[in-house]
Amino acid sequence: MTLEIILMWFTLTFYAAATATYAFGVTFSKEKLTGRALYVATAGLAFQIASLGIRWERLGHGPYLGFYEVANALVLCVVAFFVVVAWRNPRLSAAGMAIMPVAVVLLGGAMLSSKAGLPITAKLASYWLFIHVAFANLAFAAFAISFGCAVTYVIRVHSKTGKWTARLQKLPAQDVLENLTVRFVLVGFLFWAIMIATGAIWANEAWGSYWSWDPIETWSLIVWIIYAVYLHVRFTLKWHGERLAWFAIVAMPLALFALIGIPLAFNTPHAGIGGLGKDF
Amino acid sequence: MIAGAWRAAVKVLRSARLATWLLAFVGAWSVAGTLVPQSNAGPDVVAKWAAAHAGLEPVVRTLGFHDAFTSPVFTACIVVLALCTALCAWERTRLAVGKARILRRSAVLDASALAGDHDLEIACGPALSGDEVLARTAAKLGELGVKTKRADGVLAAVSSPWSVWGSPVFHWALFALMVALIVGNLMRASGLMGISVGETKTDAPTSYGLVHAGPLYDWSRVHRSIRVDAFDPAYRSDGIDRGPTPTVSLLDAAGNVLKTQRVYPNMTLKSGTLTIYPSDFGFTTGLTLLNSKGAETGHSAQLVDFSDTKDGTSASGSLNVRDNAGNVLLSFSVTVPLDRVGGALVRRIPKQPAVRVVATGPDGAKVLDAIVREGATVVLPTGDSLRLDGIDYYARLSLVDDGSIPLLYAGLIVAVLGLTLAVAARQQIVMATVIEGSEGTKLALKMRLWRNASSSRSEIESELALALGEDLDTKESTP
Repeated sequence: MTLEIILMWFTLTFYAAATATYAFGVTFSKEKLTGRALYVATAGLAFQIASLGIRWERLGHGPYLGFYEVANALVLCVVAFFVVVAWRNPRLSAAGMAIMPVAVVLLGGAMLSSKAGLPITAKLASYWLFIHVAFANLAFAAFAISFGCAVTYVIRVHSKTGKWTARLQKLPAQDVLENLTVRFVLVGFLFWAIMIATGAIWANEAWGSYWSWDPIETWSLIVWIIYAVYLHVRFTLKWHGERLAWFAIVAMPLALFALIGIPLAFNTPHAGIGGLGKDF
Repeated sequence: MIAGAWRAAVKVLRSARLATWLLAFVGAWSVAGTLVPQSNAGPDVVAKWAAAHAGLEPVVRTLGFHDAFTSPVFTACIVVLALCTALCAWERTRLAVGKARILRRSAVLDASALAGDHDLEIACGPALSGDEVLARTAAKLGELGVKTKRADGVLAAVSSPWSVWGSPVFHWALFALMVALIVGNLMRASGLMGISVGETKTDAPTSYGLVHAGPLYDWSRVHRSIRVDAFDPAYRSDGIDRGPTPTVSLLDAAGNVLKTQRVYPNMTLKSGTLTIYPSDFGFTTGLTLLNSKGAETGHSAQLVDFSDTKDGTSASGSLNVRDNAGNVLLSFSVTVPLDRVGGALVRRIPKQPAVRVVATGPDGAKVLDAIVREGATVVLPTGDSLRLDGIDYYARLSLVDDGSIPLLYAGLIVAVLGLTLAVAARQQIVMATVIEGSEGTKLALKMRLWRNASSSRSEIESELALALGEDLDTKESTP
């Protein structure tokens, strides 16, 4: 086992520990534990950056190819985004109890997949690759944070005995939490739009066709439309409260499916990126 | 009556509900489009799916899901959505004008004006001076993410008037993009052209194996030719295998070379609105027909494509030998048996170049199946002979001539800038001043939290009430 993989196992362990600490901290109203969980998640993030840095140096390219790298990059962005948000706004730290499990499940799946490095092929040898993938990861990270905020919102709504309301009292008020969910969706919506735009420009530069209704292109558009509908129902139809939160909760797995599930399920030009390691 | 119908149509198209439902429908339709094989994947793929889903196929075919993204239903939805977007953009522009005006006016409000025009009052503790009230208010608002400036007894966090233009700009750019996409499809031409090494073809519909041109594309304005100068089946550069790489030249009407370069993924040949990309490659076989006396009677270059057959290739067409009356005496096709390395077929010209000639008579019966090596001949049943002059590569080039690309790029950039502004810029007015009166000291607040505010009205109100004096009531002021 190489240092790179050992560090990644450390990462997974720390993320799992952060998840457990958040769960205990929130469930038993131990504020100190909830605070410590953020330290644990940050330590895990440091291990992950080190591991991916070593891999980048070894392979000569960033984490773009194959399920292991793609899932890793997504997790890195989700945790980094969350850690930055939580350090800047400690009131949001408790949302980690919904966000960290997403990171653990994704990274756990990555650790079970092939860790072999794939070479950059002719079709991927472009500076657009970095821009396109970076915005995909950032968009997913923002959607994941909105998912976390929405989950905590719904938990508080359903706290009939008031226990969970008390446990999550450090979080911002429900209307502020809802606004934060919408803001993260907006940020994700913007990054996702940039991802689609850069993908279209790259496709045109690479093979003279900016859009070919390839399944992953189509699913990227579908996810963007889903979030466009979310923003429309929020801003023009004035949806509020629980049903809006459920919308954000349901939409995030669809974004994940578009990024990871579609390349696995379809033989697309993106198949070698998130999926089975096939070239196109 | 026409005016009434127009107003009714505009009212319907302006509906946010319609736009939302249209978006949802386009999303759902697109999901179905990815679950059903599309016609451009090939008739075999569609037929195989149809056979496997015999019950669903009639419904799918009737709804046009095999051409989901070019079907009339989808196109109509996109057109209506574009109209909705335009009206929505217009509506947002009007709103933005109003908001910008309010922001400009608010930015110059002084303490006395604010005391007469505010939304709510918060009673302050009797021990607090006016200065302390403003200091505590600024600190609390800062904690809630609202950074204020203090001047002449007024705390103010008023967004710049340009902050409200993100959403209108984004929606107008989306509308422009939709129009550019529709017009671009009417004005663009794209197709596949097979060109052998050393061959030059004019850019005309007859030169293409497959071509699609929009109704507004004007072929009479196209005066150029494309030549393939060389072909490297395994080109490498910068340590990366670029794959089969042709060297392509673009020539003007007079035959002058305008541009020459290798074309491979991420290295397309671009000239004006034209983009040339290598789609695929195959072999071109040089054949000569000789009569029974050995005199050459004709030459032909037959294209051979790679396939999953036993030999690894299949003919892209057939040649006919006719009698003087024009009747077909013989049809023959040519393939190139590939070399095998470790059991796998190698997509290169064989080390000993040869072709397989299969001929059929007028009744379709096979009358010849022979291997012919380079320079050798085979005698046909008609008494004529066929000679293989040589095998070389041909490049199947994808040519796209699309003048709408710069417009699309511009639309994308403006849309992203508009969206960035809509996402990043706060649209808010938070102003506070102190009112001294017979009922004690009060904080007068004017609040408009339109978009991207860091806090909410209720949170600001309750947090300020706590900061300025516990157990004190807050009350809404009369407008």
